[in-house]
Amino acid sequence: MKIDHSLPLEYSTKQNDQNIFGFWVFLAAEIMLFATLFTSYFTLEHRVGNGPSGSEIFEITPVLIETLVLLTSSFTIGLGIHAMRIGKQKAMLTFFAITLVLGLGFLGFEIDEFITYIHEGATLQTSAFTAILMMTLGTHGAHVTFGLFWGAGIVMQIKKRGLTPETTNKSFIFSLYWHFLDVVWIFIFSFIYLKGMM
Amino acid sequence: MSELFPRKQIMGFVFSLSLTAVALAVYFLHLSFAIGMFVLVVTAFAQALLQLVVFMHAGETKDKWIIYGKVYFMITVALVTILGTLLIFLWDM
Repeated sequence: MKIDHSLPLEYSTKQNDQNIFGFWVFLAAEIMLFATLFTSYFTLEHRVGNGPSGSEIFEITPVLIETLVLLTSSFTIGLGIHAMRIGKQKAMLTFFAITLVLGLGFLGFEIDEFITYIHEGATLQTSAFTAILMMTLGTHGAHVTFGLFWGAGIVMQIKKRGLTPETTNKSFIFSLYWHFLDVVWIFIFSFIYLKGMM
Repeated sequence: MSELFPRKQIMGFVFSLSLTAVALAVYFLHLSFAIGMFVLVVTAFAQALLQLVVFMHAGETKDKWIIYGKVYFMITVALVTILGTLLIFLWDM
């Protein structure tokens, strides 16, 4: 295995470089996945039937907390990658742990939000609007849930193996995934919640 | 300690919080739909670009233009899908 020391560890082998590139291809496809969900959402958002509309069930406080929590977690994982690049394993793991705790907090708020909606009579079967709302939020939430397991696995692996070209590569790719989820959330926050409450 | 908090990332975070605050204006101020949507489009895309450049390090390797090219192409396809569908189903054209 040829290691190029002029590059950060996560890019240092040909395989690493290709892994990161491949993940960008995956993210490009993910953009399209969420685009189709947004397309359906915008098409169906006014089809509320006998159920509630967005402005009736959306609440600014939990949504704002979720947004701030996710933005902060995106910042802390960025700091984690920075710490990784300067070889500070302990600091990196701390930042990754903070990120995962924030992610868990986000998920907690989102689950609570879903429970509130269901209590208010907005279930997956209520109307076209509630169905696509829950599908879109749920797809994002499922990605975050998957990310929590993935991130936890990476933290364990780094604890065991230290910062190697492989583990740093996995961590960097995970950070790309996490930032991407943050970007998707910004669009949900802007064009589902804020637009719905405007 | 300070080496763990690079200026670029902190500025990025502050800027992303500011963009969120600006976007909130559409909720707290009673803006017209058109102005509100304009504010949301600008803040959301600025926020996405910020994440891409500052936090995702999209521009730091030799693959830079392929990565940007791919992402921008997918965003274009996404926008065509969304706006094209709205054009047919909602705007009655």
